[in-house]
Amino acid sequence: MSEAVNSLSTPTLASVTPAPSTAVVKTPPVLGERGFLALSWLVPFVLLLAWEGFARLGTLSPQVLPAPSKVLLTAWNLIQEGRLLSDLGSSLLRAIAGFVIGGSVGFILGTLVGFSRLAEALLDRSVQMVRAVPFLAALPLVIVWFGVDEGGKVFLVSLGVMFPIYINTVLGIRQIDPKLIELARVIGLSNRTLIRRIILPGALPSILAGVRYALAVAWLALVIAETIATNSGIGSLAMDAREFLRTDVIVLTIVIYAGIGVVSDAIARVLERRLLAWHPNYARRSAL
Amino acid sequence: MTTHTTTHEIESPAVSVHGLRRRYGERTVISGLSLQIARGEFVALLGESGCGKTTLLRALSGLDAIDGGRIDGPKLPAVVFQEPRLIPWDPLWRNVSLGLDDRSGKPLARAALEEVGLGDRIDDWPRNLSGGQAQRVALARALVREPRLLLLDEPFAALDALTRIRMHALVRQLVARHRPGVLLVTHDVDEAILLADRVLVMRAGAIAGEYVVSHEAGRSRAHPEAQELREHLLVELGAAVE
Repeated sequence: MSEAVNSLSTPTLASVTPAPSTAVVKTPPVLGERGFLALSWLVPFVLLLAWEGFARLGTLSPQVLPAPSKVLLTAWNLIQEGRLLSDLGSSLLRAIAGFVIGGSVGFILGTLVGFSRLAEALLDRSVQMVRAVPFLAALPLVIVWFGVDEGGKVFLVSLGVMFPIYINTVLGIRQIDPKLIELARVIGLSNRTLIRRIILPGALPSILAGVRYALAVAWLALVIAETIATNSGIGSLAMDAREFLRTDVIVLTIVIYAGIGVVSDAIARVLERRLLAWHPNYARRSAL
Repeated sequence: MTTHTTTHEIESPAVSVHGLRRRYGERTVISGLSLQIARGEFVALLGESGCGKTTLLRALSGLDAIDGGRIDGPKLPAVVFQEPRLIPWDPLWRNVSLGLDDRSGKPLARAALEEVGLGDRIDDWPRNLSGGQAQRVALARALVREPRLLLLDEPFAALDALTRIRMHALVRQLVARHRPGVLLVTHDVDEAILLADRVLVMRAGAIAGEYVVSHEAGRSRAHPEAQELREHLLVELGAAVE
């Protein structure tokens, strides 16, 4: 039946509108996909060139904003001295330690509260109260507790990371479709299998969103902590530079912080794309 | 239970229910219901909304506790719900083998998916399936366990008419091959006559009528016996049109 309809309608259609040749199917946009991409990179490049130009002409005082080339040169010198990489290393270590500690605590608490009404009654209100405090307000107290040691900075990062992970874990677990849990009961899954196969994977999109947010918070916490009190790390590099009015070094540290932020966000994106290949919102480039 | 054919009575029943009672608070939903389904027998359960069909099915599936009576049957019958309830983050074969041993699960899942005509999609994600395909995966997931009892809770209600016709043929074929006892809860009188060996009408928490469908009547809607049964069932359900 449907074949008959097709064989009837095709020639009619073809006679009305002649089959378009492939070359003129669409009017091309002004620039095309590549053109727009190039343009989007061209703008920051031109701004950078302008910055360099004004700095060289002396319109921009080097005390205010040194030329990008000068910043690059400074980076090179600091690498040669060995200071830049060791400072970068100690900053990264702090961030990772804080992220792992805060992330674990947030995840464990979130899982408990997500699963158990009792845990929720015991923990959730207190956690929410502490969360209401802007964690940076605790900074003076942290300095009193830990001095300028590693502990204080790791603590501050942990504190900042913990809450987004906690909240998103609870939310993720609560959002699981109850019909899937019913299915698991009908099939006779053990509690362990239920958690492993249904609850945690179902909560993962929400948890990963928490991770991405937590990464940004981690860097913010680290910048603040290192700027206030430290004797190693990118923040201390910036503080030392401030005393000697080395704006080139200061600009360099800002660029490094920005770079780390971009890289960590990219890592989080890759994680999402790999772990959430099943999810329609993340599946643009999956094979299937 | 003396009405249906003798072939079913040789084997032990897939499930037998004696004097089942189920209450929600003060309200009695099922009162003293008895029912037996033989292995390989296809029973359809018709009834208006709220008559206790779904409650009966949930009790049989072990999802809800019962307040009285006895259910002798498998602890974990296979259930197909109105929605496919596939796990979106598992590829099809992992959905089908859910709850099976990881190593033996994949070949079993592959065979089950081949049976429902999706053998080439075992690594695909559920989001890429149409409604009918997803419901076929749910059928494969139910049958991969070779259940003694298969409970179908209006599994075709959400499908379009053509897909539903194809699903009817597939279910018939699968049930003939695997021979579980089947209880199909449905609103659709034609579907019940077409698929079932026996049609039960449920009213106010009890079985109000029981009809054996002859082989010929189940074959064709135009068969006079099928038409007569259809009229009769519609009257029973209070939906007859003058």
